Amino acid sequence: MLSGYFLAILQGALLTVGVSLGALALAIVLGLIGASAKLSGRPIPVALATVYTTLVRGIPELVLMLLVFYGGTIGLNHLLEMAGSRRTVDINPFLAGVITIGFIYGAYMTETFRGAILAIPKGQMEAAWAFGMGRTRTFLRITAPQMVRYALPGFTNNWLVLIKATALVSLIGLQEMTYLAKQASAATREPFTFFLFAAALFLVYTSVSLWALRWLDRRFSLGVRRGHA
Amino acid sequence: MKSLFLSLTVVAVATLAGCGKSDTTSNTAAAPASTAPAAPAQRPELKVAIDPTYEPFTFKTPDGKPTGFDVDIAEALCAEIQRQCVYVEQVWDSMIPGLQAKKYDVIVSSMSITEDRLKVVDFTDKYYNTPSRIVVKSDTPFTDIASLKGKKIGVLKGSTQEKYAMGELRPAGVSIVPYEAQDQVYLDIKSGRLDGTVADSVEVTGGFLSKPEGQGYGFVGPVLNDVKYYGSGVGIALRQGETQLKDELNAAIKAIRSNGTYDTVSKKYFDFDVYGD
Repeated sequence: MLSGYFLAILQGALLTVGVSLGALALAIVLGLIGASAKLSGRPIPVALATVYTTLVRGIPELVLMLLVFYGGTIGLNHLLEMAGSRRTVDINPFLAGVITIGFIYGAYMTETFRGAILAIPKGQMEAAWAFGMGRTRTFLRITAPQMVRYALPGFTNNWLVLIKATALVSLIGLQEMTYLAKQASAATREPFTFFLFAAALFLVYTSVSLWALRWLDRRFSLGVRRGHA
Repeated sequence: MKSLFLSLTVVAVATLAGCGKSDTTSNTAAAPASTAPAAPAQRPELKVAIDPTYEPFTFKTPDGKPTGFDVDIAEALCAEIQRQCVYVEQVWDSMIPGLQAKKYDVIVSSMSITEDRLKVVDFTDKYYNTPSRIVVKSDTPFTDIASLKGKKIGVLKGSTQEKYAMGELRPAGVSIVPYEAQDQVYLDIKSGRLDGTVADSVEVTGGFLSKPEGQGYGFVGPVLNDVKYYGSGVGIALRQGETQLKDELNAAIKAIRSNGTYDTVSKKYFDFDVYGD
């Protein structure tokens, strides 16, 4: 009889996977842009990227999400009203969730990537330029493959926190698994059963991704000899 | 379905346009319209926000359908104003922002009418008003609130009960601990970190007193319904300025109160009168 609630939570888990992967893709893009802006040495990109990482990392996710989603919708509706339209904006909550979380974690990724790029010996890039490689080619062939190795530990942390942050998207109207677990526990008054189930699902998801990231780490550390610990 | 509505709309518009032209055509054109009973169904849907985590008022069945006292009342009201209820599930924390962002038209989710909320949203008349009570161990000696001095009482953060506890119990020397959710209060009573709670009498009966962990606990003191703390009951929240919808809903509440629908719904969930006096 309770199986319906478990099924609903499983469906919520699919949404969690969707939102987190979408947000991760956006965060990586924003992180790369942010990191290159910070390292560009040009005043305006540096200033913009600094404002971005300072603001976003300094404000609680919950507050940002309310501001971006509801503040944004209310603002757009006001604009439409002023323009004399009777239509109301309806932002797709899935997209809003992906964008808000991606935007927030892009700031953390910026710092992770910046640190990783700085860890690569400058001589590597200089050698590439000396061979006549352009900026893009240097990045793709020299910087990026080495950066991945340095970035992975910080990246893994960001990813795990990002997965758990998806529990906040219920605020903007998405039925993710934590909220569904809460609904089930409220209806049956059995909190532990359903929250433990949701916790187990999160653990499965994070374990699988840790395994994948460990494989990536081995792949990108092929040319490196590790000291025996 | 959509195209059916569309064609019905086209027919209706054509009929209306026909009416304006001349008297002779209006007679022939009006005839098919009056035989189509679809006219009331063309009123727009009413988007109703609920937070289905509040059994028995709003919760979900195992197959995912919203149900409970609030939902049944919403259905009855929608039938009365001839609009179809569509439910939007929303977390409590962003209930009012969602209303202002026009994600839905009304909130029918056991929201108490309070001064603070009236500053940002509008409410219909109340549709129920259950009193709150203090719950402690049954053997606690009690004459008035002063006899609870030194006790630790848990309350739901941001609730009317918290306001009451801060305003009346804390000055009497009771220590008040706010919680994110009412079931966390029950868990902490069970684990011995709290001596009791102030909660809605219906909620605390279903969620605690009727369960094994609530054995040995009971109500003390009078029924609490001071308007200063508890407001004037639970109403339907809607955006400010939506007077027409508010008037319609108020009339609908009156109608279901008098035609017996309200009592039928009430008896389904409670063995007492939840409307209050």
